[in-house]
Formats: sequence, C-alpha cells, structure tokens
Amino acid sequence: MDKKKIIICDDDEGIIDVLEMILEEVGHTVISVNDSLKVQSVIDKEQPDLLILDLWMPRLSGQEVLRQLRSNSGHDKLRVIVISASRDGEQIANTAGANQFIAKPFDLNNILDSVNALLN
Amino acid sequence: METSNNRKFELSGNAGASNFQLMTMALDASISGIIITDHTQPDNPIIYCNKAFENITGYSRKEIIGHNCRFLQAQDRNQKERAVLAKCITEGEECRVEIRNYKKNGDLFWNELYMSPVKNADGEVTHFIGVQNDVTSRKNAEQDLRQQKLVMEKRIRERTKELRESEAFLSSIIETVREGLLVLDPDFNVISANYHFLRTFKVSKEETVGRQLYDLGNHQWDIAKLRDLLVKILPTNNPVVDFEVEHDFPHIGRKLMLLNAYRVEFEGQFKDQILLAIEDITEKREVETRKDDFLSIASHELRTPLTTIKGYVQLLERGMPENASEKFLSTFGKVSLYVERLNSLISELLDVSRIQSGNMELHMTKFDFDVMIAEAVEGMRATVPRHQIILNGQTGASVMADESHIAQVVSNLLSNAIKYAPDSDKIEVNIANVSDYVKVSVKDFGLGMSPEDRKKVFERFYRGVEIQKKFPGMGIGLYICDQIIKNHNGTLWVESEIGKGSIFSFTLPKAGKDSNG
Repeated sequence: MDKKKIIICDDDEGIIDVLEMILEEVGHTVISVNDSLKVQSVIDKEQPDLLILDLWMPRLSGQEVLRQLRSNSGHDKLRVIVISASRDGEQIANTAGANQFIAKPFDLNNILDSVNALLN
Repeated sequence: METSNNRKFELSGNAGASNFQLMTMALDASISGIIITDHTQPDNPIIYCNKAFENITGYSRKEIIGHNCRFLQAQDRNQKERAVLAKCITEGEECRVEIRNYKKNGDLFWNELYMSPVKNADGEVTHFIGVQNDVTSRKNAEQDLRQQKLVMEKRIRERTKELRESEAFLSSIIETVREGLLVLDPDFNVISANYHFLRTFKVSKEETVGRQLYDLGNHQWDIAKLRDLLVKILPTNNPVVDFEVEHDFPHIGRKLMLLNAYRVEFEGQFKDQILLAIEDITEKREVETRKDDFLSIASHELRTPLTTIKGYVQLLERGMPENASEKFLSTFGKVSLYVERLNSLISELLDVSRIQSGNMELHMTKFDFDVMIAEAVEGMRATVPRHQIILNGQTGASVMADESHIAQVVSNLLSNAIKYAPDSDKIEVNIANVSDYVKVSVKDFGLGMSPEDRKKVFERFYRGVEIQKKFPGMGIGLYICDQIIKNHNGTLWVESEIGKGSIFSFTLPKAGKDSNG
C-alpha cells in the first residue's frame, strides 16, 4: 500500500491514539489535531490525502469544519471520513459532504477498509 | 230578613200545626245535624235534635235530649275550641268551631259546629241553635295534604341540599384541577372560567365571564387554529382530543397549549354549550426535549471511551502473540463481546426514551429489501460462525422505510433466535411478498414460550418467567422492534410452542407507512 498522509481531528485523545496506532501500523503518516479550530490551518500546511473527522467537538463542530472545507476551492476534493457516536451523525455527514460515515464505536477493519477504498 | 219573617210567621202561630210539621220535616231532611238548647235551664240542655244529628253521632234521640252538648267530646276535654264555645255562650254571641267529637261507638269525627243564640224581645238569650257537619273526611284530606306538603317540603329541602352539595363538590373539583376550563355558549361567549384558567392567563373573572371568547383580553384567543377547531372540527368530530396550539400570549409569552373540546349534545339547558379544557404543556414539552437532549449527550459521551476501549482491544487482537494460550484467547474474546453488549445497551436506552416521548424519527428511503436482509444475515453469520442461518426466498422488492431501523429489527430477531435456542444451531429466515407488503419470518428451534409469555413479549421491560432465570437482558429489545414496526404501519407477531421453538414474523408496507389507508 502507498504511504499516505492522513489527518485525524477528534477531541478525544484515546480515539486519536487508537487511530494513530492502526493507521501507522499499516504504513500511513498520521497527523492528529485535537482542537478543531486548528484543523483548517494544519490541512492548508500539510495538504493531506485524507481527513478523519469527528462531529461533536467543543470549539468548532465537525459539521462546520467540513462545510468550510467544501466551500473552499482548495480542499473541496479532499476525501473525508466522518466518525461519530451521534445518532444523527450519518445524516449530518452526508448533508455536509463527507465521502464516508463510520459510527462510533467503530471496527478497526472497517476503518482500514474505508481508508483503503478512499485512497486508491 | 227572611229569618225574621219566619220567626214572625212562627210566633204568630197563624199557619197552624201543619206549618210546624213541615218545618220539622225540613229540619229532619237536612244533612246537617241541628240541635236546640234551652239557655234558660241549668246547664243548657238539648231540647231538640234532628235526624241528621242522630246519624252523625250514632246516638238516638232519647240518649240526646236533656244532655249538655259536651257529652260528644267524651274524654277529649282539653281542646281550645271549648273556650271559644264557652265564651259565646256566656256573652250570647254566635261562633263557628271545628271540634273533635266522638260517636257512640267511640269513633272520632270532626264536627264543624255553627252556634248562634236566639234572643227574646228584651234581648235576652233564650236558646242556642247548633248546626253541625261531619267534616272528618275533609279534615283528613286536609291533614293528609298538610302531611304531604310537609313531606314534600322536607324532600325538596333534602334534594336542594344534595344538589347544592354536589354542585359545591363539582365546582370544588373544577376550581382545583390544574387545567384551565372554560364553558362557552353556542356563540362562544364565556359562561364560566375556572381558577386555573384565570391564573394561567393572568386575567380576572370580571374581564372573562360574559364576554366573547375571541374578544377576551386584547383578542389573545382570536387564534386561527382555535377558530378552526371550534367552527370546523368540533361540529363534526365531537369531542376534539389533544389539539395542539402554539401562540404568543400577552403577559405570559409564547405557550404551547393542548386543547380538549366537547360540545354538550344531550337535550336540556346545557345543550350546545362547549367545554374547553386548556392545558399548558410548554414546560412538559421542554422537559421532554431536555430529557432527549440529556440522553443523546449521555449516550454520545458514554460511547466515546467505549470506542477507545474497542479500538485498543482490536489493536491487541491484531498483535496477538502466536503462542497465546487457549484460555487467554477465549478471555480476550469475552472482552470484545461485553464491549459490544455495553454499546447495544446504550443504544437501546436511547431508543426507549425516544419511543416513550414519541420522538423516534424515521429517515425514510427506498432500498433493496433483499440486500438489506442478506447483509443482516451475513453480519450475524460472521458473529456466530457455529450457527447455521438459512435464508429462504426473495422479494425483489424496493421498500420505502427507515433502513437502519428495519435492519435493527432483523438483527434483534436473529440474535434473540440465537440467544434463546442454546441447544440448537439452526435458524431459518424466510422472506416473501404478501400483497403490497414484504414479510419476514425468523424461526428458531429453541425453548419456545408459553401463551402468557407470548401475550406480553412485546411489552417494555417484560422478561419471560423461565427466560429471566437463564438469560441476562433488560427486556426492551422486542419492545423496540414492535414500536419500530408499528411506526412503519406494519405488524410484528410471534407463534411459539414450548420445547419446539418460536417464529417471529413482521410485515412492512412496501410503499411506506403512509401508503395504505
């Protein structure tokens, strides 16, 4: 598998840790951001291949992050996986323009499959 | 004049004996008893009585003549009428009394007695003439009437009291209930308003009662939806139950009101009056919303660390050393199992709360029914590889429903089938088209259940008697399934026999829940 650059944006350190471990294990470069206000600038700087985005975050919601990304011509093609424990997460993710939605608690195989599918 | 003429005529004696005889016959023909007493003799003895007097008293002439009249009173000597009579006799005046007298055989009779004196040329009283009538039956009737009247008056007093009491009782209820109540006449004028209404809307009785509903306050009740309710809906749909109206009221702000209206239909003074019950459910609705919000947040927050735990477990699983012992592996497997169980408990609690508050949202989409079923079955096969899940039939149907909800029902029925058939490893799933519905049946060969359990199995928190001892659970899975299928206008039911197994089936309208009328 090609080595790709993936940004994870979640306010929960445990989830970031788990995702980092699995994605790094299969060879990707992972950059984690736990403050959603900073994710835009990190994306601008790093130009990642994929964003894994939580929805319900304290400072700026994932929904808002995604909406800004999609309205910015630079990142409207960025592939985004939304992960959320919120019941209406899937609906929000689809409306906001995510490429994929995965409910929390997720299955790691499911994460890897989706990441692969979107990156290749 | 006539009397004095007669007397003159009698005194002159010109008419002779035949006239006197005629007079005596006339007196005997009278139905009134007539006596004459001689006032010039001691104790005023009776010197004449007619036939009627004998008939009335039962005494014969010979027992009467020479006696004072008082013998008719027998032992009943304390009547106040006696004083009246005595006074008349002393003063030589006429009088009329009603006095209790007794016949020879002792029977009481009421004697209506007229007594008048006869005076000589010097104005001295010589005789008294008594005319008597037996008025017992009239007296009895009068007495009965009086009695009857007393009874009636008593009864009316009692009834009035009862009415007053029940009216007071009812009005105390009406004044105490924590729901606004209005009574309107057919033209929507307020006939009465209870305390809670006045308090809720911060108005007084004076500015409410007797006025038109729409004119109350600054026309705060002139609400289009309320007019619709009273004018359009109530006349054909009596009563109207739980009609929601949201309105911005002066003094109290925006409120959500639940209206119940009833038009009196029975004949009588209340006919066509309208009872309007108004409940302020603003706060109740807010509390429900807050409860939903709380549960959403709680379940979200609980799932977050659960996600991390599940992730770490899976990472450990991936890095499992090859020489790990059997015991280590099976213990490890149980950790994953209980993580899943915790996750489904969190989901179920949230579902129950949504169902209870009626807030289960359906995201209706059109989907390939066979694919959804195949995925659910495949998912279950992967979880329990030892079980043989046989899928029969196909519908080829595209169904309008909330796919995730229906998949949840199928998975729940499958996991129940596995859970409650520990000694069997076979489960049959049948799908078919039935008219404009799709039908799914999940058949197990497990414990089965009694008729009592069959009746209650879809109730919230119900756990089968035998099941309770052997299997853990909260008893909400089938309740949620049933509610989901009901929300889609389908039905979920069970056929079962103890020792043989159960078949859970449901139907679902293909064209969506609003398709069939």
